[in-house]
Amino acid sequence: MFYLERLTLEGFRNYRYQQVHFHPALNVITGNNAQGKTNLLESIFFLSVNRSFRTRKDHELAYFDGHCFNLKGNFIKEGFNHAVQVEYRSNKRLMMKVNNDHFNRYAQIQNYPVIVFSPDDLQMISAGPSVRRRFLNLEASRLDSLYLKELKDYQRVLNQRNQVLKNYLPRARLEDTLSPWDQSLVELGVSLIRARVAMIKALEIEAGHFFSEMTEEKEKLSLEYASTVPYCGDREEMKELFYRDLLNKRDQELRRCSTLLGPHLDDLVVSINGYNTRPYASQGQKRTAALALKMGEVSLFHHKNDLCPIILLDDVFSEFDLSRKQQLLDFLNKSGGQCFITSAVDLQGMVEKLNRTYKHIVINQGCIRDETVRTGD
Amino acid sequence: MVYPGALKKLVEVLCLFPGIGPKTAQRLAFFLLGRSREEVVAIARAMVEAKDRLTFCEHCGSLAEAEQCDYCSDPKRDRSLLCIVQEPRDVLVLEQTGKYRGLYHVLHGALSPLDGIGPEELKLDRLVQRIEKLGLEEVIIATNPNVEGDATAGYLARLFNPLPVRVTRIAFGLPVGGDIEYADELTLSRALEGRREM
Ligand SMILES: [Zn+2]
Repeated sequence: MFYLERLTLEGFRNYRYQQVHFHPALNVITGNNAQGKTNLLESIFFLSVNRSFRTRKDHELAYFDGHCFNLKGNFIKEGFNHAVQVEYRSNKRLMMKVNNDHFNRYAQIQNYPVIVFSPDDLQMISAGPSVRRRFLNLEASRLDSLYLKELKDYQRVLNQRNQVLKNYLPRARLEDTLSPWDQSLVELGVSLIRARVAMIKALEIEAGHFFSEMTEEKEKLSLEYASTVPYCGDREEMKELFYRDLLNKRDQELRRCSTLLGPHLDDLVVSINGYNTRPYASQGQKRTAALALKMGEVSLFHHKNDLCPIILLDDVFSEFDLSRKQQLLDFLNKSGGQCFITSAVDLQGMVEKLNRTYKHIVINQGCIRDETVRTGD
Repeated sequence: MVYPGALKKLVEVLCLFPGIGPKTAQRLAFFLLGRSREEVVAIARAMVEAKDRLTFCEHCGSLAEAEQCDYCSDPKRDRSLLCIVQEPRDVLVLEQTGKYRGLYHVLHGALSPLDGIGPEELKLDRLVQRIEKLGLEEVIIATNPNVEGDATAGYLARLFNPLPVRVTRIAFGLPVGGDIEYADELTLSRALEGRREM
């Protein structure tokens, strides 16, 4: 059992100061538009991942002229209380504390898993590859702490290597100077690609299962890793192929002053019934596919760590038809994870069919206006 | 907060030390003010003397009080072994293990194109000359286990390839992404024993 019991927001988005207690299973958050429903979800996500799902700039999250904000969350994990705190001050390193021990940003990404689905997630299907790479990187880091370290190192190697390419060295010295960076690029790049491919294989099963239930088994979702580097089962062989291709790209890379092969350029291809969703799927299919990727992650994490992540659903119920809403609610109910659902309209009629207690929270202008625990019969 | 001028200056100077923030600097300043004049002069003199008397060894780049450091001039050290490290302080850490009796070479940095540090800045041609002159059996590369340390080790291994010398790297047991400086003596001893051929 893992859930967020209590949350305090100080100077976060439109919340000046607010404390909220949550229901361990289900919380339905309603209110008019632009009152702070999504901001509340964003703060929960920020506690877990140490970045927002809406912006990459921390200062945009601060109420007081971008200067500072504090978040405190009490997570309950297997009966134990974990006090997680995040403190943002402009021009300072983000401070993260767990039970008063200090940690760097992202260091606790595996320990308090929160998975969000919001209308913006349609971008995972319709936008360019960088959105999907960010998804792969976040989810792989959650499942494997070595991945996060290798990703950071890879990015560092990439920057160093690009700098060498920009330095216009004479050819003889160039090869010597590039060689150690090539070695690291290949070593780390192959590790990242293999970790991604392994995760995608597992995710395809979980997401595919969810997707076929959502579409009443009429459609089949498949995932494929599109790599700039030839993939092969043997690690050493793959490294050799990567080297070979790097060498072939040398002239082009020197002209462009940039590394043209590697996981920083790869993509995830999401297909329905064999057709790539990005050009071919309808809006409805794209939305269902994006939701399947996220709920697939929930199941994957759950199976791997025997702990169901907290699930945040931002305004999803307005987007799906009745049968899909019902399928989604069934999934949430079965998963056993704590859920937060925002909606502009009261979802009472729908949620009551689940026959369980939940908390209804009404938000107005960055304040909680009403909280009631409702019991199903 | 308003300090008298001299105190303000002292706090500012103490803030230059690594890991010292304004609060600690203030504590240190008041510590100094609480000592006798003789004690404070002795502290200041120790700093200046260390700065004046310590230089880097002409041969290996370690800290030395003469042209040649204690390791280079010690006839009891094993002259068939050379250990390459990034910083002078790494030599002290390796010495504390008591496990290593060979010679040293300090690079004073690691390859980092982003910081403008290439083979010339690390004076690697002089290192190759030194290895040739010493007629070594083994070179142990002990650069830090991070991105730049790895690249430096890779570059050195390639550079030494034509030389008739065994090239190894300490790797085992070092905390990943850390500096040699922070490894404890036991892990470092094990790392020395577990070095691998490059
Ligand atoms: Zn010396």
